[in-house]
Amino acid sequence: MTDGGWAGTLHGLWRSVAGIGARDELADLVLPPLCTLPGVIAAWGLRYGVDRRVSAYRWAGVPLVGPLRPLACSLAAAPPTSTAPPATSSLSPTSPTAGPSPTPTSPTAGPSPTSPTTGPSPTPTSPTDPAFHRPAPPGVPAVVDVTGPGALTEAGVVAAVVLHLDVAGEWPGTFIALVDATADTAFVGESLTQVADVTAEVLRRLAARRVEQQQHTRDALLAEASLQMDAVLDSTQTMHRVPRMAVPAIAEGCLVFVCEDGDPELRSAVHVDMRRLSALLNDPAAATRLAALAKAAVAGEILLDEHDAAVLDSRSVDLQVLRARGRVIGVLIFLFDRDPNHIPPSSFLRDIASRAALAIDNGTLYEQRRHDVMTMQQHLLPTRLPVVPGLQMAASYTVGDRVLEVGGDFYDVVSRDDGTTAALIGDVCGRGVDAAALTGMARHTLAALVAERVTPARAMSRLNSRLRLDGSWRFVTAGAAMFRPVTPISPSAPGSPGSPASPGSPGSPASPGSPTSPGSPTSPGSSTSPGSPASPGARGSQDFVVEWLSAGHPAPVVLQAGRPARRGRGGGVPLGVLPRPRFGRSRLTLSPGDTLIIFTDGLTESRDERDRMFEDDAMWTALNRLREADAPVETLVNELSTAAVKFGGTKADDIAVLAIRVEGSPHD
Amino acid sequence: MTEVFVVEDSDEDVEAIERAIGRSHPDVTVEFFRSGSEVLPRLTAPGAALPHMVLLDLNMPGESGLDVIRNLRSRPGLARLILVVFTSSEDQAEADACYAAGADSYIYKPLNFALFQSVLSQTLDYWRSRTAPRTP
Repeated sequence: MTDGGWAGTLHGLWRSVAGIGARDELADLVLPPLCTLPGVIAAWGLRYGVDRRVSAYRWAGVPLVGPLRPLACSLAAAPPTSTAPPATSSLSPTSPTAGPSPTPTSPTAGPSPTSPTTGPSPTPTSPTDPAFHRPAPPGVPAVVDVTGPGALTEAGVVAAVVLHLDVAGEWPGTFIALVDATADTAFVGESLTQVADVTAEVLRRLAARRVEQQQHTRDALLAEASLQMDAVLDSTQTMHRVPRMAVPAIAEGCLVFVCEDGDPELRSAVHVDMRRLSALLNDPAAATRLAALAKAAVAGEILLDEHDAAVLDSRSVDLQVLRARGRVIGVLIFLFDRDPNHIPPSSFLRDIASRAALAIDNGTLYEQRRHDVMTMQQHLLPTRLPVVPGLQMAASYTVGDRVLEVGGDFYDVVSRDDGTTAALIGDVCGRGVDAAALTGMARHTLAALVAERVTPARAMSRLNSRLRLDGSWRFVTAGAAMFRPVTPISPSAPGSPGSPASPGSPGSPASPGSPTSPGSPTSPGSSTSPGSPASPGARGSQDFVVEWLSAGHPAPVVLQAGRPARRGRGGGVPLGVLPRPRFGRSRLTLSPGDTLIIFTDGLTESRDERDRMFEDDAMWTALNRLREADAPVETLVNELSTAAVKFGGTKADDIAVLAIRVEGSPHD
Repeated sequence: MTEVFVVEDSDEDVEAIERAIGRSHPDVTVEFFRSGSEVLPRLTAPGAALPHMVLLDLNMPGESGLDVIRNLRSRPGLARLILVVFTSSEDQAEADACYAAGADSYIYKPLNFALFQSVLSQTLDYWRSRTAPRTP
């Protein structure tokens, strides 16, 4: 007993209440002071757990080990010899809501830390400890005689004062004070009651802290799950992220079923113990049941019953339908091994499922849209370039922006039966479906008219009129390079103009050029026409006259042997701006080996982090390097596009590049 | 007494793991190693006292977490050692490789500390419950 007597000790206990962080620390706090009471030889504590077994033995004084444990259980269950006076205060360890059957929120069953006065104990061995079937009501101390030979009587113990403790939502327990003949059992009983009050208060505080902590953890999980799931637009990645976030934070296992053609397919599964999951999925009964549960759930039926936990090798199972935008897109199945009171409420699991559903659905919609964009972009560009004797051609189209919009760049090559080859390029301002529709219209209008021997100027004027008539606010920059051989050739010659390469024919590209996938701008899609098929002498080395017409389009670049790359002339005003179009015109002659490169402004205006444009310097470095390396036209367009994309980083715009080279060796 | 070896090269994560386990499982002894090459001799020395569990980061200088798993699983004497990968990596292929190499768990390392503590706590509880000695 302390200097302040029992009252001082009790005061010290109450002051310590706030410092207790776990139930396992309680025994060290409350049992030793009981041993300081006059006549008390030992103080024992029993805690009950699952299946009403004693889950922990605690002691101060005589160690509660070996054969003393069943004895303690029998003392706890024995009918009282007498009932000690109950505590006079209103502080009862029994909560008004406490019932005879515990509904604990924290079954922290198991061994506790050792200390000089409290020791570890193994899990209980008796099938059902009789102590749980206590005869005395909670909060009322009872005195039980301890008689007969044995270690306790040898130590002078004549009686046990027993007090049962029940706190709502917590595992119950029993205090046992072993006393000798000198003890005032009424006082010991009252002291036990007071200690039980302290214990009950600690348990209530721990429970409140635990609930707060669980809520905090769930809030954090929701926030982090949202962050993780919203960070990607890849539905497959999201399907993996959902169970990874959930396990083991809220469940031991999580399976994601997503509907494919109406039927739920298992797309992802995570378990804290993946070997168990693997065994589960390889078990035909479990796999069949999982599939049935998922299928029923997407059909609006919940089949889950009390046998499912065993079939799925778990303690309990929860199922949440994945519903996004009013549609059922799949099912989440949670597997739990943890105590029921550590399983999050259904509302929380529903919340997780709804966020997961939305993220998965967003990813799926994104992928569908991306596929649509790719398809549309392919329709806006020629699938192949024509084979024109005497000319080598290659084109590339790089989608620079990662947004899901169709770009407005276009190009085409028309080989006319008069021996003229028209290389067309253009750029509709803006992106998206409207721009794409206009892009398709512009490309096909220009190509169709030019193919009918309409001059590029007239074709562009028609397009200008159309744009003005439609009242479109969008304008179009366009350029046309008309290639005419200096000495016309016979239309009947092999590989004559106007005959596109047939698939598989020598010299035709193995696969049609296609736009690069959005988001991978560093590997430009390209289409090539490597010149005339193997028809020696079809046109030989020959000069071409090129007439360039520009409606506000970037000026082309000319590569010629033995001199630096140089810029042609642009000029003109974009189509759709003026009632009468204004053009820039220029003319040049290309000799064998010379190359004309036409492109959209995504190439030249690609900007680095210091806001320098690609055309300021880097483009010329790349061009001259490629010229000196005598790079083939396909290499030329691809490397030029790649260099511009690297230069501009993620800010790169779409880039269309078309290179036309006159066949043959440069003139000496 | 449960003992956990943690192989982690990040100072911040070492501190967070120590704090998290200290709060949720004060009875668990934790020993830290900064690399695979530090922990391997400790586990493979003749007569070495083995921990209950090894918590591994994946991306470490020198020997990676995956290398450590392969190394440990190649030793029959360490077959019962619980190997838990605790990583912020999102690569599913990496997770598959870890399981194939013999990891028991592949656990996501959250950013939020409350979640971080909860994830570690649940992992410890799970493996303690699966491997706790059972008296007859």
